[in-house]
Amino acid sequence: MIGAKDIKTKICLGEIRSVDTVKDHFKRIKKTDPKVKAFLRLSEENALNQAEQIDNKDRKNAKCGLLEGVPIAIKDNIMVKGEGMTSASKYLEHYISTYDATVIEKLKEAGAIFIGRTNMDEFAMGGSTESSAYQKTANPWNIEYIPGGSSGGSAAAVSAGMVPFALGSDTGGSIRQPAGFCGIVGYKPSYGLISRYGVCALASSFDQVGTFSKTVVDSALLTSVIAGKDYRDPVCEPKEGIDYVRDIDNPNILKTLRVGIPKQLLDYKTDAEITKYFNDATNKLKLEGVEIIEIDIPAYRYVPALYKVIMCAEVSANIATFDGIRYGYRSPNGRSLNDEYAKSRAESLGYEVKKRILFGTYVLGAKNYHRCYHQAQKVRTLLINQITAAYKKCDFIFTPATLQMPVKFGDILPEECDLFLIAANLAGLPGITVPCSFTSSCMPMGVHFMGSRFSDAKLFQVANAFEKISEFDTDKYPIL
Amino acid sequence: MVNYETVVGLEVHMQINTKSKVFCECSTQFGAEPNINTCVICTSQPGAIPILNKKAVEAIVKTGLALDFNINKQCTFARKQYFYPDVPKNYQITQSEPPLCSRGKLTISVGGKEKVVNITRIHLEEDAGKLVHEIGSRKLGYSLLDLNRASVGLMELVTEPELSSPEETLEFLTELKNIVGYLGTSECSMEEGKMRCDVNVSIRPVGQKELGARVEIKNMNSLSGIRDAITYEVERQKEVLESNGKLVQETRLWEAEEGVTKSMRSKEGALDYRYFPEPDLVPFDLPDSFIEELRKQIPELPKARKARFIKDYGLSEYDADYLTSTRTIADYYEGALNYSKDKKVLAKPLSNWISTELSAKLNAAKVCISESPVSSQNLAKLVSLILNGTISGKIAKTVFEEMYEKSSDPETIVKEKELSQISDETVITKMCEESIAESPKAVAEFRSGKERAVDAIVGLVMKRSKGQANPQIVNRILLEKLKV
Repeated sequence: MIGAKDIKTKICLGEIRSVDTVKDHFKRIKKTDPKVKAFLRLSEENALNQAEQIDNKDRKNAKCGLLEGVPIAIKDNIMVKGEGMTSASKYLEHYISTYDATVIEKLKEAGAIFIGRTNMDEFAMGGSTESSAYQKTANPWNIEYIPGGSSGGSAAAVSAGMVPFALGSDTGGSIRQPAGFCGIVGYKPSYGLISRYGVCALASSFDQVGTFSKTVVDSALLTSVIAGKDYRDPVCEPKEGIDYVRDIDNPNILKTLRVGIPKQLLDYKTDAEITKYFNDATNKLKLEGVEIIEIDIPAYRYVPALYKVIMCAEVSANIATFDGIRYGYRSPNGRSLNDEYAKSRAESLGYEVKKRILFGTYVLGAKNYHRCYHQAQKVRTLLINQITAAYKKCDFIFTPATLQMPVKFGDILPEECDLFLIAANLAGLPGITVPCSFTSSCMPMGVHFMGSRFSDAKLFQVANAFEKISEFDTDKYPIL
Repeated sequence: MVNYETVVGLEVHMQINTKSKVFCECSTQFGAEPNINTCVICTSQPGAIPILNKKAVEAIVKTGLALDFNINKQCTFARKQYFYPDVPKNYQITQSEPPLCSRGKLTISVGGKEKVVNITRIHLEEDAGKLVHEIGSRKLGYSLLDLNRASVGLMELVTEPELSSPEETLEFLTELKNIVGYLGTSECSMEEGKMRCDVNVSIRPVGQKELGARVEIKNMNSLSGIRDAITYEVERQKEVLESNGKLVQETRLWEAEEGVTKSMRSKEGALDYRYFPEPDLVPFDLPDSFIEELRKQIPELPKARKARFIKDYGLSEYDADYLTSTRTIADYYEGALNYSKDKKVLAKPLSNWISTELSAKLNAAKVCISESPVSSQNLAKLVSLILNGTISGKIAKTVFEEMYEKSSDPETIVKEKELSQISDETVITKMCEESIAESPKAVAEFRSGKERAVDAIVGLVMKRSKGQANPQIVNRILLEKLKV
């Protein structure tokens, strides 16, 4: 199997046909997805038609898109005009998107082929993809285990080789955690680098679209296509047309790099093998000349609590629009306006969604606002200040992607498992998970680099350099 | 018996006069077919994000500057959460702290006395859609939702509780409408729901400092309704207190047909709106240059204009008041004056024509003066024709009718219809002599001392001249002839 960048090059050179590539991937999907259940819906016919149009172009004269003819999977919380968009909720079971998200517009322009929609936790609330109203997705490396979440479908699809890359969304580690669990690259950009327009909101001040791929360079390629200013997302920064691939191979990057490891890592119970392989990875970096620095960010300890407060507060407002009035599920049992609201929501939203709405409603109540929500925002500022101070001593912060290995379906991960990933969302920073080793359970684990705001290009260089020294075999796929 | 005083505070919602809505690109056009002016943002589809309309911010800052407000440079938004089908997101984007404008004032005059009313704040927010429960008189068994108005920009202005009567309240609103109309920042039409008011009413014994329990009357949309509701509410509150009852803070609704207010919810039932900062719209600072540019755009306001009209044109207080009551009338008036060399001579008669003939026609046809079929230039010409004796005042009315019907030029009409006044004394003398000869009875009466008998002969001359003879000359010549 070849990566997205090579597929595109070969198609543009006329060496392979997009139709064949798409067919190959559907063949792989049909073989593996019945076990993995990464996809909620596939669009084979559409994909083949699109591919055919690309193959019919006059190769000598046609412009070659950045993702010409390359198959991609899309998380089911992103709007594609004319397609369903369920966010894995029963509420949106029959919803049809009336417009394209900005990232989708850009992908279409670049010539990408949409293969299907991937499973996720309902409204992206969860870290295991188990809260999907439709199906449970398995970790391709061991189908008794969770793939992580919320973008578990996208992670599993890329990991199993069903697509070369995929889109996800990351509000509190929702790309990087499942990427770590599934042994692939998962990238969340700096807040404001990629437009959120057309992405079903979870917590607006943390949400970012991001990428899954087998290699760092493919994530950089995908980011080059979907990043950039968009007047339809007011938080989107006016950065445009950056090519993240061009300078990705920087042979000197590691020689002068200062990498910080938070001493708070020791405060949390970490899987012994994760600790071991993380230390190995650190030593590999050292051997390349990287200066390893201990950094101190005491506010890490507040991360789970303040994330929960702010995220749930925003959730309670964002999910309020799903009221059964204009679209989505409407209960046939409503006896009054309020009863119809209550029943439409009670009958269509899952447990995790309800729990977060209740908690968010509580922390924003007049009696609790200052004590909870406002206090959390203050602590968030404290965390940001401490991280900013740490970046005076180091260029990137380096941690394991997760502190625990994936669990079996139904088992619960500890709350602090992806604490170091969530810090990136709270501070609006870019983060990338890169696989580094297989543990004795034959399941992969990854490391996480977090950069300062808008250091995304350099982050790709560092991740790319690490990928090369990690000795992790990116050509290896799970046997399914 | 205790004497009570009335305390009124207002929350005024005015629709901001912009082409597109405040958080999306949809049109704000009034009266469009239901749900035509909607998009993914104002119907709250998944993934939609609000985009702030700069023009709406400009309108609020401009209004604030005109009312002596402090402009808060930091522009922030908040979500105000409550479930209702006309609010598609189930929260309204509004401003909490700080609002765009803090601490302003407006001077009103009631019964010849001036009073400064302090205004707490003006902030920007979005309007809700409209629920329809009946079509005509037919009650529906369901409700229809029209989201054309959803997310249209509103400015909400909140006053201090400083108004002390229905008259002051009405004067405040009238003056506010006038100023905002001059600025063009809102059309303030209560009929179209573009200006709505929540009225807070309480009473307290004269001399008491603390305010009484406040009753909020929601969603008032006519000045007469506001006057009647305050009057009713003050009486009701007095009755409660005088029968040893206790007033509670509550929200009431005005039932216009019955002429009473009815309790909607008490303080205990008040909603917790769970305000928090709007994460989709990051706070930003208004540049000083932005504010200064708007300051320059503020036109002469009604009070200043009225004073200038009195000083420069020698108008009476009454006339100047009428002419400056809206910016369009004042602009029309000054537009007309600009066509005249001697403004002072034209000023008074022109004012009369506008306030009587023209306004009667326009009101009957429900046409705004800015769209008057009689242009300000043509009206100025007409008045000049009267002043220089080309036509009589009576003929002028006929000419005006035609000008109104056909939007035509008075000079052309006078020429084509040969309506100009006859002032040639030989012609008039001849007509007078003929008329005297035809009226032996009136002549006899006049000569026997009944001076008013001359009127009949004047009438005859005017008829003979088809109304064109100069009535003063006719009068003079007739008297000369008859007294011989």
